[in-house]
Formats: sequence, structure tokens, C-alpha cells
Amino acid sequence: MSEAPFKNPGWAGNVGEYDLTEEQVRGLDFVGIPPLEGTHPASVAAYPYMLEEKDPEAHLFEGPYETRFEKILTRYPTRQAALLPVLNLAQEVRGHVSPETMDRVAELLELSAAYVRGVATFYTMYNKRPVGRHLVQVCTNISCNLCGAEEVLEAFLEHAGAEIGETTADGAFTVIEAECLAGCGFPTCVQINSRYYENVTVEEVPRILEHLETSRGSALEDGIDGARPTAERGES
Amino acid sequence: MVTLTIDGTEIEVPASTTILQAAQGIGTEVPHYCYHPGLSSPAMCRLCLVEVEGGPKLLPSCTTEVAAGQVVHTQSESALGMRRGVLEFYLANHPLDCPICDQSGECDLQDYVFEGGREHGRSREAKRVFGRDDFGGDVLFHGDRCVMCTRCVRFMTEVEQKPLLTVVDRGNRSVIDTFFEEGLQQAEWAGNVVDICPVGALVSKDFLHKARAWDLEHTESICPNCSQGCNVDLHTRDNLVHRMKPRTNPEVNGYWICDYGRSRYEWLNRGERLDAPVVRIEGRNDAMGWTTALTTLQERLQERASGRVRALVSPFWSNEDLSAVIRLVDALGGGEVLYRSPRAEEEVPLAGVAGLARRRDLAPNVRGAELLGCTRVGDDEGRGGLEALTDHEGVVLVLGDTLDEEDEGFAPNAELVIYIGAYGSTALSTADFQLPITTFAEQEGTFTNHAGRVQRFWPALAGPGAARPAWLVIGALSGALEEQEGPSGAGEAFQVVTEMVEAYRGLTYDAIGSQGASSEAPVPVAGD
Amino acid sequence: MGYPYSHEKEVPILSKHFGDPQARTLKGWKSRGGYEALEKALAMSPEEVVEVVKASGLRGRGGAGFPTGLKWSFMPKDRSRPHYLLCNADESEPGTFKDRELLRWVPHLLIEGCLIGAYAMGAEHVYIYCRGEFFEANQVLAKAVDDAYEAGIAGEDVLGSGHKIEITVHAGAGAYICGEETGLMNSLEGRRGEPRIKPPFPAAVGAFGMPTTINNVETLCAIPPIVANGGEWYRQWGTEKSPGTKLFCVSGHVRRPGNYELPLGFPLKDLIYDVCGGIVEDRALKAVIPGGSSVPLLSAEEVEDCTLDYEGVVEAGSMLGCASVIVMDETTDIVHQVMRMAAFYAHESCGQCTPCREGTAWVTTILKRIEDGRGTEEDLDVLVQLTDQMTGTTICVLSDSVAAPVQSSIQKFREEYLALIRRGERVGVA
Repeated sequence: MSEAPFKNPGWAGNVGEYDLTEEQVRGLDFVGIPPLEGTHPASVAAYPYMLEEKDPEAHLFEGPYETRFEKILTRYPTRQAALLPVLNLAQEVRGHVSPETMDRVAELLELSAAYVRGVATFYTMYNKRPVGRHLVQVCTNISCNLCGAEEVLEAFLEHAGAEIGETTADGAFTVIEAECLAGCGFPTCVQINSRYYENVTVEEVPRILEHLETSRGSALEDGIDGARPTAERGES
Repeated sequence: MVTLTIDGTEIEVPASTTILQAAQGIGTEVPHYCYHPGLSSPAMCRLCLVEVEGGPKLLPSCTTEVAAGQVVHTQSESALGMRRGVLEFYLANHPLDCPICDQSGECDLQDYVFEGGREHGRSREAKRVFGRDDFGGDVLFHGDRCVMCTRCVRFMTEVEQKPLLTVVDRGNRSVIDTFFEEGLQQAEWAGNVVDICPVGALVSKDFLHKARAWDLEHTESICPNCSQGCNVDLHTRDNLVHRMKPRTNPEVNGYWICDYGRSRYEWLNRGERLDAPVVRIEGRNDAMGWTTALTTLQERLQERASGRVRALVSPFWSNEDLSAVIRLVDALGGGEVLYRSPRAEEEVPLAGVAGLARRRDLAPNVRGAELLGCTRVGDDEGRGGLEALTDHEGVVLVLGDTLDEEDEGFAPNAELVIYIGAYGSTALSTADFQLPITTFAEQEGTFTNHAGRVQRFWPALAGPGAARPAWLVIGALSGALEEQEGPSGAGEAFQVVTEMVEAYRGLTYDAIGSQGASSEAPVPVAGD
Repeated sequence: MGYPYSHEKEVPILSKHFGDPQARTLKGWKSRGGYEALEKALAMSPEEVVEVVKASGLRGRGGAGFPTGLKWSFMPKDRSRPHYLLCNADESEPGTFKDRELLRWVPHLLIEGCLIGAYAMGAEHVYIYCRGEFFEANQVLAKAVDDAYEAGIAGEDVLGSGHKIEITVHAGAGAYICGEETGLMNSLEGRRGEPRIKPPFPAAVGAFGMPTTINNVETLCAIPPIVANGGEWYRQWGTEKSPGTKLFCVSGHVRRPGNYELPLGFPLKDLIYDVCGGIVEDRALKAVIPGGSSVPLLSAEEVEDCTLDYEGVVEAGSMLGCASVIVMDETTDIVHQVMRMAAFYAHESCGQCTPCREGTAWVTTILKRIEDGRGTEEDLDVLVQLTDQMTGTTICVLSDSVAAPVQSSIQKFREEYLALIRRGERVGVA
């Protein structure tokens, strides 16, 4: 069983009755590292935003991203229906959905820019402003709230040195409140970028933040980076 | 056909009628915001909910189709209670700034709350504030007053088919906006969102704080700014036109008018008017009364050498006026009757409405002039083409056109220069006779639109001083020359028109009514 | 079995392979009997498949409890227009976390259920609308779908049957309201996820204007076992009107929170005290929400005799919903939790209908004010009346969902509100 860098990221090795590794619980070994251009078009619209270095000026869409964009278009009867996956893809490349990004996506999908703005602002996951390297989303909805979620949120704000919703000066963390993340059996559930951190308690918060910053430097930071077995990430 | 009962009244309507439409048929207006007959029905304002016996919930009457034997109550306790409840939510964050809101007096929120809302608000909470947002063009948006009916968004998307408006954000943070600062610049029909906004969220910048709705008189008229002939209402107060609003006509303009037309009414209020007949005697202009002026003119016409008449008319004047001039020309031995009209490079269609466009001819009665046998001259600015008149030695007669580009002393070689116009003209200030007439807004009459449809308008303003309709004074003059009475009413004057134009045979003012009537005139092949 | 804890009283049908990493792989799944049900279904006629589902009495597991077989039978038999099957994996109801487990442990069970459903309804395209936040689970599902395509299970020629069924995994972008079936369809079409009016119903005019059926993940996962074993087999568990098993998501102040698969009709008391090991530190029970935040609270007395089936919970004074049991002990600050739930709805309201758009925010503000000690007793009457005005007047039931916790808590825990109003005293700590 692989050693976790800190206790209780929510796999059953530390909670519950099952004797499993992190990879086994998250399915990381099963998933592997999918190529940037995606695999079968059927699954292309499900990709998370991979955390390469974000480039707000990057061209939409080039190379493997263009391939993924084309694959997405084949799955829907209208170009408009590809809007959510394409906005996801654009956010993956540029880090957030700026007005320029909305305009460019509108152009690509033959929609009006105002329409794209209307759709992009409806959904919470499209960042309208740049966010820190680690977007920390703490669930404070009822099940986690009953088990101390608000203290966990306070702990994140304190230890990251952030105001809620704002990015820290060094660009490391943005801490926000999230609605139910569907991890209610593992309170408090925190989503950081694309990974769920479950069973988070106030005590663990400083170590989580430290771990996030020290595991930087690898090509893919988090989320899909989790697809690499823990040992490969060079953690002790 | 389906028979149902609404508020105790049994009615029969076609099968796919909605309950709301059926109720309108018996004069019951169910309160509503998001429904509009020219747009889709999302049933989201929740104001039109009515009780249908036997159902578990109240149903939205704007989308629920009638069913045989349905028993509907729009004023039952549950319907009224629901309405009161929903209205309370509408007011929860409303600024209640009626004293400074232009919509006051024609506001659906005011009316519905007055009729069926609570007397006092129960909210003790701070209101959310959006403030004012200039959408560009003539449209100003006040987010706090908005009831989120999305009529404006749907108009731009479905009717103009330029989706420039959207709802931004969600929940009670949602607000109408454009794509950031892009605004409504590209739109040509955006003014209609101000009309369809049920509250004062979207207002006209041109009309901002100009007049109170209840002070305005509405007169049925026709937009004079192109040859589509959109039906409008002129809203006036103190003998000034303050705005032009579309009047519904399914055959011509549906529910809409374009921004180009809507914004061009100020010329009806222009001050430089001829208000008394003027006769030029020995280089001096003398004002005098009509009788003297017309008698003098009649004598001069009868005394003249029999030179031909060359006339220039304006397509901004009615069929009745134009036909009176043509009859006069005939009575004087005949001659050419010309007209000029500004003309745009392109049409500006409204994509979602077949047959509706801002036409190339930027005057209301071009077709009318053509059908009466007038010949077009001049360029697309409505200038030039006056060669036939400038050196003419006979009678020069100008109706309406102010010859802006010409200098004083127009047609110096003419035996007689007669200007029958509403506005002062430098070129014609030296005319032998200047006869003051009313604009179309100051008289009854008809225009014929590009498709040959004859449409009536009514007087919204009082002409200045001694100004009179051209058909009246010219008709009197022709009559005197032929020793008979001229027409004494506009309807009679129109009969004269129908005698001159084959395509109008059988038309009468009654037949035309306030929605117009097609004539037999063949529809032009290309857009004019 | 349950995850992360299991219990002997469970009936593991859907959850049999929770905690078994091999069940994700195609090989592993097949060796566990996977795709046999699909083969069996393809050998039946589509109508026969629908009949089996009807016979099982399976009810929609997304919260509405509508009979699934009946819903499937609404799809038009005329197949000239494309039919769609949408799988609702936009799990966002507070307290619910079963679909995530199904997606990450047994994605092939879902794929199999989707394919059987698509076959039965003549749908050529299945969209699995997954919540955007489910990155890891979506990746697992995506890989499983890739494997299914590679093995000829999904795609042009399903298992050599000559039928074409495409699957697309589509990620959402963070909106609870996209879990509402018509909101989901609008979101899939690339619009704001605002619910549509019904009628028209999805089976007539659905996604892209075509006949569509939307089913929850758990519902579709129940299909392969039902088809494999027959409708009657499913009825050996549960009650007459609520047959079969259900994944119960238990959270809150219990010792062993998690997912447990139990027969419908299981006593709520046993779920809390037996299966979940009772309340942390053996504190006293104060309240239970039996079906996710959109249903009324049950007081401790009402929990006593409550059985967890659709009818039983209604009898006890609430609704089963998605069977997300949130357990609250004596340390709970009811007013705070109700306020947090109201704030959730205010945040997630799509904003179309005025009673919901204005009402959710207004109710939240009043509750915050009461929590701050600045409330009055009239506020309680206003809250009840406002939530009444928000019930039955909107396009979807998000608005009605606010009424449930607010009204039930004012009715059953009035003294907590009054303590704050009259004395500024907070009962409970969280």
C-alpha cells in the first residue's frame, strides 16, 4: 500500500474497511495518462482541464488541442451543443474564460459573443478571472457543514493567507466555498483543481497546502498528474 | 373548434388557441410579462397562471392550449392569491422609482400591482442594486427595474436574429447585458426592445425624461421615413411629437419599426414654417389671407401666356395632396410632374419577419407618386434633377420640396413660380406665391407604400397659422379655374385620387380603415 | 458492498463490486458476469425488454421515483426521428454521493445499462451527462467507454447485433439545476441550463427537439441485473410499491457514513443505529433528512417508525427523494443548517422564474438575519408564507425544495428559531 503524503485523502486505506491504494481508489492506474489529443471521440468531452502551465494568450486551438476540438464537434448534432466542452477546453489552455476567449469560442462555433457570455456566466466552473495555481474549493453544504466544514474553510483561508474568492499575492492559492461536491460520506470534502481531498480536518490543512506547493515543478501538477503513481511524483 | 368556459363565459375558439389568447378574445387580459404575440413563449414570468378546474396546479395560460369543456377561472381566489404572491416577489428588489421612471403611466408592473398586488411590501432586507447600463444606440438599461421577462433577449435572437443581448449570471444575480462593451451597435431594430419591455428597465435615451406617458396623445399615423409604410402612433403633447411607436399591422410591420424610422420625427416639430400665404409684389413679400391670395393667383394663372407647367412634388406628401397638384397642372394645360426622393444604398430587413424591411426609398409616398404618373429625377441624396425647372419660362410649381441646394431666386426666367410648402425655402423665398400647407402629421390623408398598399393617417398636430392641407387649397384653386367646388373633405379628396389611378378603383376611406388596404398595383420586382 | 463500510444486512446488487478495482477493467468486468445481460437483451425484442423493466417495478432513483418501465414506454415507436437516452450523472443534491461511486467503481455496469436502455427505446445515441466536478470519476468512465468501443460493445455494431448505439461522455460545468431533466437537456444543447416547461414532455420533444428519455445513473445501473434475472426477481426485495434495493447515502453525525445498498422499506432507525453504528459519541438524535436537502426534516420521534420506501417516508412526514440520509444530532444548529440549505438554493437558482429567483435569496437573507439575532416572530410567518408562494408556481421544483426544509424546521423546531429571536441564543454548535 503506497504511503500517502498526508493522512485521509479519502481513500479507503485510511477510512473504512477496504485495503486499497490511492491509485486503486481514484482509478489512476486504470486511467493512466491520456494523450492531450484525447482518445476516442466518445470520451473527449469528459476530459478535465489539464494543468499545464496556463497561457492566457495561447492560440485556440493548436496541435493536440485542435484535434480534440475537432473530435468534440463530431459528437453533437449542432455546433452550439459543443459549447460546454469547448469552453472547458479553452479554459484548459488559457486558465480562465476571459472576454477574448468567449469571443474566440463564439467565432469558432458560429455563435454570437453575447450568447457565449450568457452561457459561460451561468456555470460556476468557468473561471471568469484568473485563479491561483491551486483552486481550493471547500464544500460547506449541509453534510460537510455538520462535520466542521466551516472551520476547515477558515483554516484554508488562514494558512493560505487568502481572502475568500481572492488569489494570494504569490499566485498560489484561490480559496472559495463550494456547494455539495458529492463526497458527503467523507466530510469535509475539498476539491483542489481536479482532485478531491476527502475527510479533510482542520489539522491537515497546513500540510495539504504545503504538499500542493512542493509538488510543483513536475510537468503536470495535479489532477491528471495524479494519474502518475505516487512514487513517480518524487514525493517522500 | 373547442368550447370552453372562462370566468363563466362560454366561448368557442380554434383548437390550438392558448387560454390567454382565448381570454383576450372575450376582453379579459390575463396579466403577463414574458408572453408576446411576436415572440416565443417560455412561460417563465409565472404571472399568467390561471385556475383550471380539475387540475392539481395552476397552469400558465400563455402556453396551455384550450381543451374541450375546460372551465377556467382567471379571477378565482387561488389565481388572485397566486398573482399577489408572485407580484410580491417582483417587488422584492424593485427600486420603486416611479417618480423618475419614464415607464410610469404605461407600466405593467404599476398596473398589475395596483390591481392585484399587496398594499405594503414585507421585505426588510437591503435591495440588490445593478444600476444603469448604456447599451448603445438609443437604449438605456436599468437593471434594478428589470423583471427578467427576457422579451428583449428573445426579440434580438428570434426577430432581429442578432443575438446581442443575453442574460448574464444566474439566480438573483442574473441581469440582462450585451457582450461587455459591444452594446447594440450592430442592431438596426433594437429600439423595439424599449417598446416591448413591460417596465422601465429598457428606456429610450431620446425620450428620457421628456414627457409623462399620461400627458401624451396617441394618433394613428404612418411612419414617413421610408416606403415600407410601417403603421405607427405619433405621441404628442403641446403640439409637438415626442416619440413614434409602432402600431400593430400584421400585413405591413407586425409589431415593429426600425431605428432609422423611429428616430426621425423631429422634422415634424421643426420651427421654420410658412404660416401665411405670401404674394411677391414688386420685389416685396406680402402676407395676406387665403381668399385674396388665391384670387390673385387665379387671376395670374388665367392671364398668363400659355406656357407649360413644370411641377416638382414631394413624396412626403399624401396622395390627396399630390393628386390635387396634378389636377391643377391638367387644368392649366398639362405639363411634367417630377419628384425627388432620398434613397439608401441597401434595404435593412428584419430577418425574423417576412416582408418587413427599412426600404431603400426614404420617403413614404414614392409609390403613390409613381402611380399618379410622377417622374423621378435627382440623385440618391434627393438632390439635383432640377434642370427641367431652372430655366423654364412657363409656370413652375413646387409642392413640399424646399430645394435646399439651390440659391435664392430659383427659376428666374419662369413666368410664374408657385411654392406650395410647409417649410421656408431660401430658393423659393422669391417665388411669386408661397402658400403654406400642412405636413402629413397635421392632416388626414393616405400614403401608398412600396407594395402598393394604401394606408390612412390622421392629424396629430395642428398646423401653424394659416397653413392648410394642400388638397384643400389647391383643390379650391383648381375648382375656381374650372368653376366648380373643390373637395371639402379628405375622403372626397381621396375619391379624386381613385379616379386618377386605376389600381385604386373601389377603395374608400372606410374600406381602408386603420389597417390599410392593398390596391391592384403590381408589386415591384426588386426592392425599391 | 457498501463503501467505505459494508454491513451484513446489505443486499449488494449494484454495489457488489464497490472497492474492487478490477471491476473497472473490461476483462475484470466480463469475468464478473459483465455484458451478459446486454447479450440477453439484444436477443429479446425492444418491447420485451421494456416489459421486463416494467415487471420489476423499478422506480427512478434520481429522486422523483417515477416508474422506469412506464417512462421508457413513452418513447414513440416511430423511429424515423433520432431518439436519445440521456444518463443523468449530474449528482448535486446535498447529501447524495452514490452516483460517484457507481461511476468510479462499476462504469461498465452503467455502460451496460445505457446500452440496454438505448436498445429498448430505439435510441442511437446515449449522452452521459456527468457533473463537471467529477474529474476523476469522469476519467474512469471515459476510459471504460473507450474500452467498450474498442471491444465492439458500443458503437456501430453493438456486440455484432447490427444495432448502432453511440455513447458520449459529456461533462457539465457546475450547475445543480442541470440535474433537472429539462435543464440537463438545455445544457447538453449548449445553452444556459434553464429548465423547460412541460408539456411538451421529453419523450415528445426532448434533446435537440427529438424524443428523449432521461434516467439517473443508479436507475440505469439496476437495468442489467433486472434484465439478467427477470422482473420478478427484483421484486423479492423491497415493498409492493417500492420494489428492489436502493443505495442509501448516509452522512452527518453517524459513526460510519457512506453508501449502503439495502432493500427499500428498510427501517430508518436500523439504518442509523445498526448499519451506520449509531451516532458519534452516542449523542441524542435531533433530526434526520431522509432524502436529500429538498425534502422535509423528520424529528427524532418521526424517525422511530419510518421505513425507507417511497410510501413509508411520506407517511412519516417527508419524502424519500434520492435516499440521501443526513443525520443530525443534538449539537446541530438547525437554523444555521436550514439557512445553509436555503443559501444553496439561492446560489443554484437558474433565475428564470421570479418566485424562485427572488424568493430563494429573500428567504436566505431572512434566515441569516434570524441567525444574527436580528429576527422577529413575524419573520417566521413571512418565511412560511413566502415559501408557500414559491410552491407550485414555478417551472421546476427547485423553488418548492426551499419550502421543505424551511417549513418543516419552523414547524418542528420552532423553539430553536424562537431562542435566537427572543434571546439571541443559539441552540447547537453547527
